[in-house]
Amino acid sequence: MPKKFSRIKILKIVTIVALAIITVRLFAIQIFEHDDWVAKANEQHTLLETITARRGEIYMMDGNEPVPVVLNQTTYQIIIDPAVTKKEDIKKVLETYAKDYITADLDKVYDVEGLRYYIVAKNVPYSIAVKIAESETPSVWLKKGNQRVYPEGDMGSTLLGFVNADGIGQYGVEGSLNKILSGKEGLLKTVSDINNVALSIGSDNIKIPAEDGKNIVLSVDRGLEKGIEEIAASHIENTAATNAAVLVINPNNGEVVALTALPNYDPANYGAVKDASAYINQVTEIPYEPASICKNFAFSAAINEGKMTKDTTYFNKGFEIIDGWKIMNAEQRSSIYGEITMKTALYWSLNTGSINALKLLGDNPNEITKEGRERLYDYYHNKFRLGRATGIELIEAEGYIEDPNEGWGRDSTYANMTFGQNLGVTMIQTATAFSAVVNGGTWRTPTIVKGVLEDGEIVPLGRVADSEGGHHSSSSENGGGESDRTLPVEDKILSDETSAMMREMLINNRNYKARAGIDKAGYAVGGKSGTAQVIVDGAYDNTMSNLVGSYIGFVGPEGETPKYVIMTKMWGEGQALSGAEAQNLFDSLSNFVIEYLKIKPAES
Amino acid sequence: MRKHKADLVILFSTLGLMALGLIVIYAIGPMRANVLNNTYGTDYDPNYFFLGQLRSVAIALIAFFLSFKVIPYKYIKKYAKPIMIIALAMSALLWFLTMIGSSLAKCELGECRWFNLGFMSFQPAEFLKLALVIYLADFLARKKEEGTIGKFHDFWLPLIIVAGASLFFVVIAQGDLGTGVAIMAIIFGTLLIAGVPAKQYLIMLAIVIAVAVGSVATSSHRMERINAWLDTISGAAVTDSTYHIENAMLAIGTGGFFGVGIGNSVQATGYLPESINDSVFAIMGETFGFVGLFLIIAVFGALLIRMLKIADHTSSSDERILVVGIFSWTLAQFTVNIMAMTGLVPVTGITLPLLSYGGTSMLFIAFALGLVLQISCYTSREGINHEDISSRGRLGGSRHSSRRRRS
Repeated sequence: MPKKFSRIKILKIVTIVALAIITVRLFAIQIFEHDDWVAKANEQHTLLETITARRGEIYMMDGNEPVPVVLNQTTYQIIIDPAVTKKEDIKKVLETYAKDYITADLDKVYDVEGLRYYIVAKNVPYSIAVKIAESETPSVWLKKGNQRVYPEGDMGSTLLGFVNADGIGQYGVEGSLNKILSGKEGLLKTVSDINNVALSIGSDNIKIPAEDGKNIVLSVDRGLEKGIEEIAASHIENTAATNAAVLVINPNNGEVVALTALPNYDPANYGAVKDASAYINQVTEIPYEPASICKNFAFSAAINEGKMTKDTTYFNKGFEIIDGWKIMNAEQRSSIYGEITMKTALYWSLNTGSINALKLLGDNPNEITKEGRERLYDYYHNKFRLGRATGIELIEAEGYIEDPNEGWGRDSTYANMTFGQNLGVTMIQTATAFSAVVNGGTWRTPTIVKGVLEDGEIVPLGRVADSEGGHHSSSSENGGGESDRTLPVEDKILSDETSAMMREMLINNRNYKARAGIDKAGYAVGGKSGTAQVIVDGAYDNTMSNLVGSYIGFVGPEGETPKYVIMTKMWGEGQALSGAEAQNLFDSLSNFVIEYLKIKPAES
Repeated sequence: MRKHKADLVILFSTLGLMALGLIVIYAIGPMRANVLNNTYGTDYDPNYFFLGQLRSVAIALIAFFLSFKVIPYKYIKKYAKPIMIIALAMSALLWFLTMIGSSLAKCELGECRWFNLGFMSFQPAEFLKLALVIYLADFLARKKEEGTIGKFHDFWLPLIIVAGASLFFVVIAQGDLGTGVAIMAIIFGTLLIAGVPAKQYLIMLAIVIAVAVGSVATSSHRMERINAWLDTISGAAVTDSTYHIENAMLAIGTGGFFGVGIGNSVQATGYLPESINDSVFAIMGETFGFVGLFLIIAVFGALLIRMLKIADHTSSSDERILVVGIFSWTLAQFTVNIMAMTGLVPVTGITLPLLSYGGTSMLFIAFALGLVLQISCYTSREGINHEDISSRGRLGGSRHSSRRRRS
């Protein structure tokens, strides 16, 4: 056999075998494993990126014009690819230009193996971002984002809330209306190159643009809010109080025109707050005992049921003994012992007076009856909606109203409830119920949002379930919940006559203020104070050294339904603040409100 | 022997592969430029790589034409030894320049394989392969004539010195295992055809395999490569070292039957390393699919089989050995490159002849194929091209039988 040919043949066989192996291998990879490789490729090539929606801004009113109180500023995130970007380079760039914005420990970042993406700085302003871009450090990206700016500083911070580092609204309006403000993120799904740059290759690329958040216009008046905060702050300074909360609401449409809970914090630097309770809106989120302010509701109930009038009399002996408890009047002057009218009882804020209203409500002038308790519950819980979230577009606590029959000592409990103890209600609940007392008897869902600003026009939010907002039935501190918003309620719960009679008594309460020239001629100003004992370790602190003072009243032209209801609350831990301090604050505010909102006096 | 027409299969497959290479580089060159610009802040023009390849093809065509039509092989053969010495000297010079850290030595990824000539770079290992083929054709043919094949002093010693020096410069000094494999293939192919006794040939094969296994086992770097390869084919977790093979196979796999089409390669946008050089076959797999790759393999197959046919019909030993040397070189580069891309062998970093981006590689393979074409003009029995060479009896030329029996 000639050898040459056998050796050439060996090479030929080697060639054919090699090419055959390759062909089979390719067939396996390209035909059998094709789908697996395509799946892997999609995983590797597909860039899924959310497109950030621009967060809506927040406006207050300035007269009839919306003015911004929370604005956006474009800032940048600095992102690196640790596999390409040199540690020394990025370190130098960041420390030179953006020292204050560094959010990552570079040493730790570079210790992680296989990391291709890391955010090393946040909230970097444009001017600095430009410098970083100009440094041309390899594989450094800038991602656009938003930062909140507060042109009014800390004004209204407990109302407005803040936006955290993840872009989520916390507390206040930012928290409760987070969904409307944040809009909808868009989605970019595309084939990308290794540097995550989108390519036009591929057929199932998707781009859903972001829906920007809506600009919210609050019904709060900026100037009024500012003035009220200044006045309240001066009252804090001049009393033992450390805190003050003020709520101004239009009883005729439920619009909140001022809402503040001092002290404020700096929302641009919210992290500096030591105690997270400082973020909480005391007006809507904290139930408390408003004390004698509740006498208005007990009186209203008995009058509306036709059981008494302002001139109904009873015998005041200065105390009542119910369920074995001796309930005292705070006011013990001798001139008011004996047979007195209910009007006098309200003027002196006598607990025996409101207990008498409860007795009359139960058709028995001598004792509290089951019917009386049930009727009072019906008014408190069902009509005045105390202990229930009002439906305002803010984070709300519910509070509680005791059951009229279940449990021990119902009579004493309900006696206490007539003067505002043994229940838990928020300021917004109290002010909304009080609005019904004075506005002719209609309970209206309070609101703090005028609408959304679109092309310079205020468009009503549509207070319906599909838009998010208020009615947070839990007292959770953290906002952003998505509960169904109930339709606004307008419920005629008291007769016009009842309301008129209550107004008359409330104005009468302030007779001496008018005489002192505090309440100006031509105006109808009425009000009622409340001094609540604070529950310490489950029992009322009878030393009276720890008291919360509240005052609620209305202002308007004489002879007309009130224009505004003003509620004040002053307190301080371990401090005794009586209704008198809250009343002083009300006195300052009532005239400021009349002046600022240009309420004209009745023509005489 | 009377001159006749050159082998058209070799001529057109060579030109066709060059053209295909150009098309692919035209499509993916801009992506490559974009990736480099984005990642390393370079400033490549989108057409940079296409123009580079165009220049390489132009130069390669000139070399192809020179070796095919202008420079007679007889003339080249006379200078076989000086050419080999020059080639080894160039590698030695590169090594020296690397040692002294001269900027004339160009390094990439820690391996210094190129002369930096400013306007272009030059890889002496590519020249070394051509020189080795030319040298071995002359050397082995003379030994055969002298009847000293298989003798230690006359045959094995000079061979070991030349082969050893070549492998030292390429594998050790330049760290270019791919070219090392090609050199081994050239040596094995030519020795086989020169008529080294079967026993000696097998011993040599055993020694080389033993050295290869030993060198892998004693080098953690090479071991890592093998492990990376094993990880990839066994489907173990992707690490940085398995990334290259994984992405080459991903490119080929996504191509499917018909491919994604020219310009639609995603893997070329930076996922696949070396997409225009060593990994260009994977990009072709993605672009043209199984059908396209099958055609490319068929073209290479035809080219290789035709070279064997020419070798079988040359009138002299030196020509036959030369053609088989060039055949072995082409076969090794082609199969090892594709096997690496498909996970059949560990990645060694070897170019795909005529298709990969890279001027030196194309220049010398084109020159070598030109020589094959030149020789194809002088084969015996003109009609033989159409015969089946697997049939020994018919193909056997009586002219060489006496010489054959001597070995």
